[in-house]
Amino acid sequence: MLPELLRATSAHVVLLVPALPVLAFAAVLLPRLFGRATSEAYTYGVVATGVLGASLFMGLLAAVLLAGLGAPSVVGAGRWFAVGHDAFEVRFGLDALGLAYGGFSLLMVALVAAFSRRYLHREQGFHRFYALLMLFAAGLALVSLAGSLDMLLIGWELVGISSTLLIAFFNQRPGPVRNALRAFVTYRACDVGLVIAIVCLHVNFGDADFVRPGNAAWLGMPQRAAGALSLLIGFSLMFAAMGKSAQVPFSGWLPRAMEGPTPSSAIFYGALSVHLGPFLLLRCHEQVHASPLIGGALIGVGLATALHGALVGRVQTDIKSMLAYGSVTQVGLIMAEIGLGLHLVALLHIIGHAGYRTLQILRAPSLLHDRHHLEQMLGHHVSHAIDLDSGSNRWLTLPRVYRHALERGGLDALLTDRVIGVLLDALRGLDAAEQRWSGRLARAVLAALPRGRRAGRNEEKAHVS
Amino acid sequence: MNAARPMLAGEAASEQAHTALDPRAALCVALDHAAHLLPSQPPLHAFVHHNTLHAFEDRDFDVALREASALYGTEPYQSEQAFAAHIASGRIDSRDIESVLAREPGGEERLWPGGPTRSRLRRFRLRHVFETPAAETVAWMVSEGELFVASHPAIGADARARALSAARSRRRLSARLRALWQRLVAAAPVSTPPRRGLRVRDALLTACDIDIDEWVHPVLIRLAGAYLDQGMAAVGMPHRGAGFLAAVRALYAPAGGIAERWMRGLNATVAEHAREQRDALDTIAWALEAAAVPRAQWPQYVLHTLLALKGWAGMFHQYETHPERLPVRTVPATLADFLAVQLTLETVAMRHALTQAQGHLARGAAAVALADLFAEAAATRPAQPDLGAVFEAFVVAQGLGLDAADLAEAVHARALIDAVREFDGLARRRLLHAAYEHHYRVHVLDSLIAHQPHRRDEPQLPALQAVFCMDEREESLRRHLEELSPDVQTFGYAGFFGVAMSYRGLDDVKERPLCPVVVTPRHLVEELPLDAAAHARYQVARRRRGRASNFVRTARDDALRGSGWALLVGTLKIVPLIGCSLFPRAFARLVHRLHELGLERPHTRLRVEGNGTIDPATGLALGYTVAEMTDIVHGMLSTMGLARDFAPIVLIVGHGSSSLNNPHEAAHDCGATGGGRGGPNARAFAAMANHPEVRARLAQRGLAIDAHTWFVGAYHNTCDDAMTYYDTDLVPASHGGALARTRERLAAACTRDAHERCRRFESAPAVLAIDEAMHHAEEHATDLGQPRPEYGHATNAVCVIGRRRSTRGLFLDRRAFLISYDPRDDADGAKLGALLAAAAPVGAGISLEYYFSYVDPRGYGCGTKLPHNITGLVGVVDGHASDLRTGLPWQMVEIHEPMRLLTVVEATTAVLEHIVATRPGVAALVLNRWIQLAAVDPESGAVQVFEEGRFVPYVPHSRDLPLVESSMDHYTGRRGHLSCARVRAEVEHAA
Repeated sequence: MLPELLRATSAHVVLLVPALPVLAFAAVLLPRLFGRATSEAYTYGVVATGVLGASLFMGLLAAVLLAGLGAPSVVGAGRWFAVGHDAFEVRFGLDALGLAYGGFSLLMVALVAAFSRRYLHREQGFHRFYALLMLFAAGLALVSLAGSLDMLLIGWELVGISSTLLIAFFNQRPGPVRNALRAFVTYRACDVGLVIAIVCLHVNFGDADFVRPGNAAWLGMPQRAAGALSLLIGFSLMFAAMGKSAQVPFSGWLPRAMEGPTPSSAIFYGALSVHLGPFLLLRCHEQVHASPLIGGALIGVGLATALHGALVGRVQTDIKSMLAYGSVTQVGLIMAEIGLGLHLVALLHIIGHAGYRTLQILRAPSLLHDRHHLEQMLGHHVSHAIDLDSGSNRWLTLPRVYRHALERGGLDALLTDRVIGVLLDALRGLDAAEQRWSGRLARAVLAALPRGRRAGRNEEKAHVS
Repeated sequence: MNAARPMLAGEAASEQAHTALDPRAALCVALDHAAHLLPSQPPLHAFVHHNTLHAFEDRDFDVALREASALYGTEPYQSEQAFAAHIASGRIDSRDIESVLAREPGGEERLWPGGPTRSRLRRFRLRHVFETPAAETVAWMVSEGELFVASHPAIGADARARALSAARSRRRLSARLRALWQRLVAAAPVSTPPRRGLRVRDALLTACDIDIDEWVHPVLIRLAGAYLDQGMAAVGMPHRGAGFLAAVRALYAPAGGIAERWMRGLNATVAEHAREQRDALDTIAWALEAAAVPRAQWPQYVLHTLLALKGWAGMFHQYETHPERLPVRTVPATLADFLAVQLTLETVAMRHALTQAQGHLARGAAAVALADLFAEAAATRPAQPDLGAVFEAFVVAQGLGLDAADLAEAVHARALIDAVREFDGLARRRLLHAAYEHHYRVHVLDSLIAHQPHRRDEPQLPALQAVFCMDEREESLRRHLEELSPDVQTFGYAGFFGVAMSYRGLDDVKERPLCPVVVTPRHLVEELPLDAAAHARYQVARRRRGRASNFVRTARDDALRGSGWALLVGTLKIVPLIGCSLFPRAFARLVHRLHELGLERPHTRLRVEGNGTIDPATGLALGYTVAEMTDIVHGMLSTMGLARDFAPIVLIVGHGSSSLNNPHEAAHDCGATGGGRGGPNARAFAAMANHPEVRARLAQRGLAIDAHTWFVGAYHNTCDDAMTYYDTDLVPASHGGALARTRERLAAACTRDAHERCRRFESAPAVLAIDEAMHHAEEHATDLGQPRPEYGHATNAVCVIGRRRSTRGLFLDRRAFLISYDPRDDADGAKLGALLAAAAPVGAGISLEYYFSYVDPRGYGCGTKLPHNITGLVGVVDGHASDLRTGLPWQMVEIHEPMRLLTVVEATTAVLEHIVATRPGVAALVLNRWIQLAAVDPESGAVQVFEEGRFVPYVPHSRDLPLVESSMDHYTGRRGHLSCARVRAEVEHAA
């Protein structure tokens, strides 16, 4: 009786978890959209209500699950729309993985929201910051509680867009905007992986829903594909995770993302956003382990990333880049753990890493204060890097190795010049060819109309410049 | 200073002089010039307030601002919109505007016979702010007729109504406006848009839309950061000992690696330079020649290249010239090396850009020639009629009630346009700024004069005498102390109290100077433990903890140890996260208690006395001889006029500030100790003044300190308003009660001080209970999420030098530096001269740094703190990578009122004129108007203001001075700037 009742109500309760932050987002922004100036206290009150409400319901769901009143399950909350036989079912998954990650996420959002009230006080973008934080919270809730890949994608995109807009928070300067664009492009390029996986699943099996295989504790994506299709789906998902979690070769955007206010850097790139890749792979672990090829590749990417992060992080001289590469390293190791099938370890690693990294980033502005005290306690400078002529004695200071690390492995150059540059060159070539041919055609036509000829030429020149 | 006077545009003569020199010598001179124009902020831990435009101090204030804003592209004054808001709020009133207009030359001149006077035009422009649209917009507004629909709104409702009634119908008004426009546009002057900078980069940007700075800067910032690093990175840059240029060459000479396209030529270039053993100057010359820079332009080219990343360039110069200010150790950085690396990268980028530019310029060859590039860049700037000026003249004509008939003659129209152009934004803001300062100056001088009849003499037998720093943050503490205890006498003095020492505390790793930056200390004072065994226990415990926390610190950034950390304790970090987010103060106290647990700091003494022995490690004298100590004590006490009627306890209070989430923590410390904390200075001074031999010698010099008087050193933390007392175990038993009462008095005053400070924090309720004030202040100091630990020197505006009796009982809103000076014992002004020479640059430096960081937080200040990222332990960048940001963060200055320091001195004008004539440091500030100076006659109390080179008698405007029951009554419930007021509480106590 009780389980049935819970089952019936939980679909609606679970809908409230992402809905409340979205409502808070709207309540913060709508009055301002209509030119009504709202106070910081109003915004903070709305946000606090949204986050606490969502946390309350999340806690309720977790309590039900923990008390053994309900088994891990997928609940439907209705149908969004239907086209032909295909329909978009709103489905939520309730299991330990989702509730652990989702609950942890909301806790962190709540703490950072409380922290930022003092931090962003009197800042111009105070309300914008909180609105985006709410969008982020909604995205996280959707990703963690999604009952299908389709639902997960919506949350995934909300996280991406809020992350992009917070990197570009200080939009008066070109740097943040440029770096936000870089993150956005990386996100979108890698999101293609998630979309491909969803399309493949829908085309072949009609849905992309999570199920509870047997008596497993976690919901997951059942392994239904075989052969080349399974490889395609597995690698697509891995590709999606690599972009979101800044794995090699997409690591370049993460240190550049440290442009926003310190608290948003902390929660996105120390704690939550950067761990979504591993979360996706934990959800879809059957796809990852469908072939040793995928698992092996994941271990390879993860270890390469960890190595890259550890190497590059060692030569960074600003605190936020150091911490960003610290994150890159740990997330790489988490990826490798998933590749090895150590799922529980990976989940604990995510939460432990998120916990201490967030605190570290929040503490970053106090570095000089902390360093002074540390040196007083030690009685000497922490001067391991200040040896001026360390050129010969360590392999890390060999010019090539050091340069490789300082240039961040050349990954940015690799992507911008060798991939995007080549692509752009090809497009430019096509454009030039088109110009040439249309010019020739136009001239042939215009030859009959002597007066129009000059105009045609001018236009061509205008195109070129 | 004069020899190295910076070069500015238009100094053609000196440019020619450069051509005569050989290229290397010319470059040295050019680098020297440029170096002075770079930000001169030292590494953050040694932050000291200084005039942001120190390099321009040899010029008049307004001239310097004009030249600097042209050079740096910065704002010289507040914006016109800000001034318009000040006019609307009454912060600038018509009396202020009339006063500055009357002083402006040529005001009575008519633009043409029978036309309006310049003053009328100026008055209109000062009072009616409107925006001038771009020329394209103006042309569009004309062609659409939008400009002629009605009179411009900026001229005000009355003038618009008058214009409409004079024209009798809208249609006729429209026709009149159109006729007016046509007259004006017919007389429009032609102007050429200014060239967008002289670097190759600017030409490339203009002609081809390629910005090579976007390529070069990320690489250069990374290299510069790695080179200057004082211990952030785990692995340091190789070959740093050989200099920046050599280290960069060592990195880039080996070929290979994945490089961005533009950088592909770098290996070969650098390898070739290394082979040829080009030094920095040769490399710079090579690059300038590659960019086809004419020799005469070298100085300007060097300057503008360095200004592209002026923060980093300035830091290289700081490393080169002030290695002693570095936090950890010296690095052989030179500005020439930095420029050589920058220009090498720019040359490589330029070559690549030119191969890309062919598409833009459509000029055949594989690479575009530089000459073509410059020709193309110049061609984008055709001369055009100055529609902006016509638009402004059009609005002004409407405002002055002129119509087409008045401007029938083209010369009249042109005269109007010229007058409008001449009175441009800069000129308007200069006058508005003068009016803004005038308003406050009148208020303060009037208040000081009005307070004089009510001033009261100091207590005859004071129970306590307390000497504070001159810092305006101590004004409120002194006021509250006096309000609470009328039998207390307070003094103000530069917060190093004459003890210019290098100091090493018990816990310090390295000694640091504690004296004004202009002084080089020659004495070392150390804090030594009394009990060696206790000290050893203390040290062992601290070292153990230090090693543990250092292990944790390095572990977290390591791959494997970091994973272990995450899996084992990472999750527990939620606890401190909750603590610092939700309960910042309680959590900070808990952490502090845990840190102190089991650590017992041994009793210590300062080794103040020495016999002249030199410490071999530092080259400084160990302590002071008795003669030196006598001079120090005598100097301060006699200057302040504390030479008789000593209280049983004389408290010497140094100050500093401790806060979290604040890379600029040192900026809140004591400026007079060179950005250090003045507690040790106070402690040392007290030890000197208690020394029996010093007292005996002082008595011989006529300054007899009573035998029953004891000096106590103390430290005031201006962030959380805590007091620390030093060497209290030495206080004679007979003074135990007096000391206890002193502590009580100070504690009560500190509470009120915190209460008064809190009114500025919006985080505190407007009406705060007095017993919550300390909590609130403590929370600001210890909260990781608090970007405003305190407001520091913000709102500083006045400096009063003289006896306290003229300001005692006057509420000055924490805006006044107060320096005690007794003119009675200083007929020739020798003491005042020394005082001004030391204090004026400190006060002016603080006030001007706040001025500039406020008027242009992006160009002069370092903007909002929120994205700041500490780099190399020496500075902050914005977010991921940017130029090194210098100046003050917005959160420190946001409540400031940008004005030059009004310095009011109790001295005769003759004495002051003599000081200005003989002290060049003071003269530069006063004659070039970087501070405002006023004299109060010690006998008559008559006030004179220094204007245009001489003292002019000041006539007060009003003798009203609000009377309030107590300071608290005056400020409670009010957040903004407060007027001066007389505090009744004290007056009545006295009666």
